[in-house]
Amino acid sequence: MPQAKTVLIVDDSRVSRLMARQYITGLHPDWIVEEAGTGEESLLKSRDVHPDLVLMDVNMPGMGGIAAAQQLRRENPDLPISLLTANVQTATREAADAIGVGFVEKPITEARIARLLSPLEESAP
Amino acid sequence: MIVLSELENDALVEIFNIGVGQAAASMSAIVNEAVRMSVPSITFIHRAEAARLLRNQVFEPERICGVSQHYEGAFETEAILMFPEDKSLEIVRLMVGESVPLAELTDMEQEAMCEIGNIILNSCVGTLANIFQHELRGSLPAYHVGTSEEILTAPGSEPDAVVLMLHIDFVLEKHQIQGYVAFVLDLSAMHDLKAQINRYIARAMGQA
Amino acid sequence: MRAMDASVPAEHRLKVLRSVLAAVNVGAVVIDADGRVVLWNAWMSRHSGLAQEDVVGAELLAACPGLRGGRVDSAIGQALRDNFASVLSQSLNKAPFALYASAAAGARGERLQQAVEITPIDVEGAARHCLVQISDVSVAVAREKLLREQAMVLRSQTFADGLTGIANRRHFDVAMEKEHRRAKRAGAALSLLMIDIDHFKAYNDHYGHQKGDQCLIQVAAGLAGMLKRPCDLMARYGGEEFAVILPELDLDQAGRIAETIRARALELAIPHARNGEVPYVTVSIGITSQPRGAPVDIEALIGAADRALYEAKNRGRNRCAALNP
Repeated sequence: MPQAKTVLIVDDSRVSRLMARQYITGLHPDWIVEEAGTGEESLLKSRDVHPDLVLMDVNMPGMGGIAAAQQLRRENPDLPISLLTANVQTATREAADAIGVGFVEKPITEARIARLLSPLEESAP
Repeated sequence: MIVLSELENDALVEIFNIGVGQAAASMSAIVNEAVRMSVPSITFIHRAEAARLLRNQVFEPERICGVSQHYEGAFETEAILMFPEDKSLEIVRLMVGESVPLAELTDMEQEAMCEIGNIILNSCVGTLANIFQHELRGSLPAYHVGTSEEILTAPGSEPDAVVLMLHIDFVLEKHQIQGYVAFVLDLSAMHDLKAQINRYIARAMGQA
Repeated sequence: MRAMDASVPAEHRLKVLRSVLAAVNVGAVVIDADGRVVLWNAWMSRHSGLAQEDVVGAELLAACPGLRGGRVDSAIGQALRDNFASVLSQSLNKAPFALYASAAAGARGERLQQAVEITPIDVEGAARHCLVQISDVSVAVAREKLLREQAMVLRSQTFADGLTGIANRRHFDVAMEKEHRRAKRAGAALSLLMIDIDHFKAYNDHYGHQKGDQCLIQVAAGLAGMLKRPCDLMARYGGEEFAVILPELDLDQAGRIAETIRARALELAIPHARNGEVPYVTVSIGITSQPRGAPVDIEALIGAADRALYEAKNRGRNRCAALNP
């Protein structure tokens, strides 16, 4: 029985977090979903809960998703992080590559979440 | 007056942020530069109040450039993208890549502004329609210049129309420009919209 | 002429409509839900060189591969999928379709300037289709270009340096912004020269300010005359400093131009008793270039040209030095 994973969702929109949570627990009812509403909060949360995957909205007030992802990457070189954005342009791709993170296009759909989660399902606990 | 709950407000803001985000990606492809757009907030107000708000607090007595499109189907609305006249020229100049002084604005710039409005409005409304899973039909854009009252008054629309006002932040090449998108809705459209938002939230909470 | 009502046989109506479609002065293309061309009117055939028989039934993107991934492609998707109409202005979309005014224009690769409208259309008994209308706006664009040039001439009067008559610093700033943006958009190279008259202060001290002014006028005229292309611009950047914008040239090419300019200054043979070993007025030139597809900030470009100029001075003056930004 594969071990339950912990996913950290970071988005200033509560409805966005709710939707992501629904899709994730729909696919894996035993997994733990943690939430953070800002970049700053995500750093604190991550140190607390040690997620296996982080989904980070780009467009947030304050620190912003890219800066937070950068910091998270510094603290956890191996942690899978995915940026969530509706604005997929060259600058975004390059920023993601530079930090060493993936990105997923918004709106969040079940299919997109499923694709994101599949590497986690195969990995060892 | 219709008041939105925090969750309903949050849902709408998120939906519109996705819409303008996609519009920003399209515009970025046109200019080969990073373009960022976001919707920091939305408000619902009566049309007369909206005109007053724009005139007094934001745009002062200068003229406004508006690009409007009509949508109908699951609900009906006149959607209008608005920037103060000099800001709209700045956007066009940045997107077109030419330095044209104010006095030389021609039909070409109007066309470009129409296209920019077309891209932004279609993205916003398209996201709404997709998320609400309902069909809408959109018209071609029309260009207007005038006072906020003149622009917000679509001919033949109801006097008690309500306006869903989106505050838009537009960033291109270190230029930060603020504008508005107004969705003029009559009361029944307003109720339709509210019903759709709640259906969407229910799906988000796993209750639909 | 009889009105087109139900009493007119359908076949006749169809013939009239076909003639109308063949005669309208606008390109009309209809795409079905699978992206295939179902209508390609005579205007389109005339200006694309693609006959109706060859295009109808094929996928639009197969007939016009240049459209793939572009604005037209996504607008058609929006029309078919979301029921939304789109406009493509000629200023933001340079000639998306391969359409030409004539065979000669086609040979030269000069496309028609196009304004495009893409609208969803309902077809009875079938899934939604999409209508693409293309208008030739070349005349309007040409007219606007002329008006702009005329306005530019008028405006250039306030962009001229009072003393030397060449472009002033303001003109340089505006032109630099424009060329920088253009280079970025086109992924092209952009070079910048910074030219400084050697020991100019000493010249002024020795010959007086009147002669100093005359020297500047002579040097400005002499050097500006070395620029051959209309896009090249020489401007008076400061007291005895000139800047030259050379679009699309790389470091080597700019270096060669710089050298001809340096040589020309010497050729002017303006006597200068306080110029070290050389008895004539000379210039030092700093050269920099942003390579094709690798744009840098304007400040970085100017900074590099300045540093290169400094290098030229350090190495003994009356020479050129080049640095990458």
